[in-house]
Amino acid sequence: MTSFQSTIGDEEGIAEELAEGQREISIAEFFEKNKHMLGFDSGARGLVTAVKEAVDNALDATEEAAVLPDIYIEIEEVGDYYRLIIEDNGPGITKEQLPKVFGKLLYGSRFHAREQSRGQQGIGISAAVLYSQLTSGQPAKITSRPKGQSRAQYFELIIDTDTNEPEIKADEETTWDRPHGTRIELEMEANMRARQQLHDYVKHTAVVNPHARLELREPGLDEPMKFERATDELPAETKEIRPHPHGVELGALIKMLEATESYSVSGFLQEEFTRVGKKTADSVIDNFRDVYYGRELAWSPPRAHDDRDVAAAVADAVANKGRDATTAFAEGVAETVANNDRLSRSELAEIVDNVAETVAGDTGKTFGGTVRENAVDAAWRAITGAGDDGAGNGADDEDGEGDDATESPLVPDAYALVDDATSTRKDDAAVRAMAEALARRFENLDGDAFRITRDDLDRLVADAATYVAEQHDATFGETARENVVEAFWSRARTVPDDPPKVKAIAGDRDAAADLLDAMRTTDILAPPTDCLAPITAELVEAGLRKEYDADFYAAATRDAEVHGGDPFIVEAGIAYGGEIPAEGSVELLRFANRVPLVYQRGACATTDVIKNIGWRNYGLDQPGGSGLPNGPAVISIHVASTNVPFTSESKDALANVPAIEDEIELAVREAARELKSYLNKRRSMQQRREKQDVLGRILPEMADKVSEVTGRSRPDIDGALARIMNNVSVEREVNGETVTLVVENHSDVNERLEITDIVSTEPTDLSDGTVVDMDGEWFVQWKPEVPSGDERELTYAVDGDADFEVSVGGVETEKLTVNA
Amino acid sequence: MTTESDARDELIDLAADFYDQFAAGNIPEMTLPTRTKSNIEYDTESGVWTYGDRTSTRSANSVRGARKLLKAAYTIEFLADQLDDDRSSTLRELYYLSESWDNDEAQFTSQDESNDLVEDLEIVTGVTREDFHMRPEESGATLMGPLEIREQTRRGEREIHCQEDVGEGGYQIPNNPDMIEFLDDDIDFALAVETGGMRDRLVENGFDEAYNCLVIHLKGQPARATRRITKRVHDELDVPIAVFADGDPWSYRIYGSVAYGSIKSAHLSKYLATPEAQFVGIQPEDIVEYDLPADPLSDSDVNALESELDDPRFQTDYWEEQIELQLDIGKKSEQQSLASRGLDFVTDTYLPERLGEMGVI
Repeated sequence: MTSFQSTIGDEEGIAEELAEGQREISIAEFFEKNKHMLGFDSGARGLVTAVKEAVDNALDATEEAAVLPDIYIEIEEVGDYYRLIIEDNGPGITKEQLPKVFGKLLYGSRFHAREQSRGQQGIGISAAVLYSQLTSGQPAKITSRPKGQSRAQYFELIIDTDTNEPEIKADEETTWDRPHGTRIELEMEANMRARQQLHDYVKHTAVVNPHARLELREPGLDEPMKFERATDELPAETKEIRPHPHGVELGALIKMLEATESYSVSGFLQEEFTRVGKKTADSVIDNFRDVYYGRELAWSPPRAHDDRDVAAAVADAVANKGRDATTAFAEGVAETVANNDRLSRSELAEIVDNVAETVAGDTGKTFGGTVRENAVDAAWRAITGAGDDGAGNGADDEDGEGDDATESPLVPDAYALVDDATSTRKDDAAVRAMAEALARRFENLDGDAFRITRDDLDRLVADAATYVAEQHDATFGETARENVVEAFWSRARTVPDDPPKVKAIAGDRDAAADLLDAMRTTDILAPPTDCLAPITAELVEAGLRKEYDADFYAAATRDAEVHGGDPFIVEAGIAYGGEIPAEGSVELLRFANRVPLVYQRGACATTDVIKNIGWRNYGLDQPGGSGLPNGPAVISIHVASTNVPFTSESKDALANVPAIEDEIELAVREAARELKSYLNKRRSMQQRREKQDVLGRILPEMADKVSEVTGRSRPDIDGALARIMNNVSVEREVNGETVTLVVENHSDVNERLEITDIVSTEPTDLSDGTVVDMDGEWFVQWKPEVPSGDERELTYAVDGDADFEVSVGGVETEKLTVNA
Repeated sequence: MTTESDARDELIDLAADFYDQFAAGNIPEMTLPTRTKSNIEYDTESGVWTYGDRTSTRSANSVRGARKLLKAAYTIEFLADQLDDDRSSTLRELYYLSESWDNDEAQFTSQDESNDLVEDLEIVTGVTREDFHMRPEESGATLMGPLEIREQTRRGEREIHCQEDVGEGGYQIPNNPDMIEFLDDDIDFALAVETGGMRDRLVENGFDEAYNCLVIHLKGQPARATRRITKRVHDELDVPIAVFADGDPWSYRIYGSVAYGSIKSAHLSKYLATPEAQFVGIQPEDIVEYDLPADPLSDSDVNALESELDDPRFQTDYWEEQIELQLDIGKKSEQQSLASRGLDFVTDTYLPERLGEMGVI
């Protein structure tokens, strides 16, 4: 120890030495060294990221201006470098703002807004500019023409990495054939190894933005890739929202408390948060009182046989008010008290106030503050014994237990609650000991109002339990203790005290934490969703339809949910069959706020969810029963949120947030159910066709053979074939607990079937039909009439595994195919 | 029994049935008794177990059914041609022969399939496999004892004495035992023996000569020809039949198929089964009485015994008592375990005692 200290002593001046090397790092410098964080880790990826950032900006800008996006992307080789040009028809950027938007990191309009948008941090496009100047030494060349201006402004700029400020190299007016919009030209060291990702990005952007027109030219393409719009409908305009009470953290709350102009907590809550009105604010404040002040325990008033007399006590406490008024007052208080099952001291004070007003009205005698206080004290003493000399003293001395001639009135009350809250197996002596131990501890609380917070109540009960365990060898386990706490807490009353003012809470970290706690425990409506612009199921499908030539499409949009105070909506779409390649696993399209996610598929929550779904249930091949399914399908998932949780700044993968994962799963399953029923139908059609093919081949051969063997001429088999081809099928589908028998009539006449399903467990929720119990087997019967070319579904539910045996009558057996 | 042309006519009739079904605009089908344990019933008249009333239908309504019937049509043609040409073939040959048919759909995918189909045809036409000139791959069970027979062979008639004209191996039972005629005998009873080892022991010890016994070698689960000749020996020569097998559940089934018929060929029980045949042993009782070396019952043995308790063929007081005793002692013994008392014990002591008890000698 000594030697160590002396070593430090010897190195005197090292802090100063170190300090010389310490200086502020500019954000631009930081990202210069950490390019990978923003997605510029390689030349191949840098190009894709730059395109992505520019296109995201262009889409955001056009949508904000309510213009249908028309975006042009061009990549050309310039010697050893690549030149990237992105043009949009957005509203343009003013001369004053433009250098900052492109030439300053962390400059943006969206970071502080709770609203769905593609860009959020104001890093993306300026990072692209930075990357371009670092690798090619060339400035970014930007042209912008705001709407309504006759000429465009042309800039050349670079970012000064020391100061994170734009440095303007050229600034001149120019002409541009677009009536409004922005064009950015970047030169960078890059390569086209990520061509596939680039194409995917543009194609997927088109899928998820069916209202946009996109065009991509790059050296590897003979023809430009063009994506036309599928709808003229712009995404719904989004509104900015205030934070939701469930989504703030303590630091943010203290900042808001400091900044607000509101004086009261109620005003603050209503003013600064979304979904908080007077009523919600009141419940938050009630919860806040409970954590901040604690509750007052409530006790039963004396019953008729008790010798504690509230009326007498009150009468004694009142002096000089005349006999009539005193009696009226005392009896009024006693009567109202007796009408209450239980009451707290604050409630008693309120009763006394009310009775005082009434009696004053009737008799003209005024009961002033001191008189009322005395009356409350006296009545409270009569009810609880609190403040009695002796009662409190005895409690300090645990050994004196049982010797007390006068038992505290709290004990029977506590006994009733403890007895009720604990299991019947607790023996009576233990319950009584617990009740007494609790009563003594309550009497020792500060003041006579029995005010206690939930946490303190937990501790108090635990302490009493320990005492009872030591003295009486009776255990009150965790569950029993929790029940006891809950019994007292639920019967305790929230105090009427006013909450502290906003300024006081802002200055008191513990109070602020209590307020946050109260906000979180209060049920509050989910945030409004007009800050979100889902694509809608219809357009998700339209987007897939536009870019994938498939046989089947399905899409689903979930209702909005909340995660950490930010609302989000999940949408899923599935395309199946057609031109989609059947080999290998399905294609997974991931989108966040309408931006395709291209990299880090394996790290993404969407991928995890897809892998954990049992796709065999939905008719897709899934080797091993988990992992990405195989087959000719495209699954697209879109998560829209005011704050999409990404795993990193480069925004490639969604973080594993359970609330979001659950919604993704539900959305995908919703779309997958449609896929399943499509595939089932297709499969049964296919089986039918196969059967017809095989029988259409075998039966003539058989006819030939029997005519050969018998030496007769070939029989006419058309009748037999016709019977087989006009088919009625009954198929069983079991989905969890739901059993469905699907009856399809492919014949050219109406069919009236008699279907009996013998089930080994009791069926419930019959779609129609009847059920008869036959010695532990249930006979479910239907007599459906199915028109030609139509189908009927017969359903019921069974609990758990069941065996089935179906018999079908009413149809010629030749026509019948039963697969159940 | 049917003659060759009868057999052929029956087959053609079946094809004609299919033809007529087609011609009437119906889908061809063929109805057969259900061939499961639950569908065999005791026929009081004949004392054997035959198929009950439950039937299954093979219909061309399904892909599977249509394929089966197509195969049936091809097989009918083949069998009819074979009878025309007075040729014969084995079941296995039929399976391979189907490869040469011009229609892929009609080819058999396994030998079980062709075997089953031939059995189906037997049932539907009422003609036995032997009369279709179909034989199993190997038969090879033998007779040894004072019996003289005449056999119709392809090389002419042969008269054979099953003791004097044969070697140690005995007389080989032909595939169609109805082709032999019993000429003369000096048999007091026939003893059907499960294992080759025990048969050889009896012959070596001269048991056939000493007791005027016809020793029939069952060779495990007996082939149809073996069961048929056993029945003919019993019916035509009027001698008692005793079955001598191991003391385990599988051997009881061998006895069961000799005495009551087997599930798979219950349609032929009246023709193959000898209900009067008696079981010599090894009985579970013998294991106890003679204190024979024994192996513990395996799980599958126990299952087999329990399933025999449910088998209608074994629902007699005798079998229930024996099977329950065996489950009780948990042991089984082979015929050869008698050798623990010396090589002559079986012929000098065990068989004379047991057969005496049974009233056979």
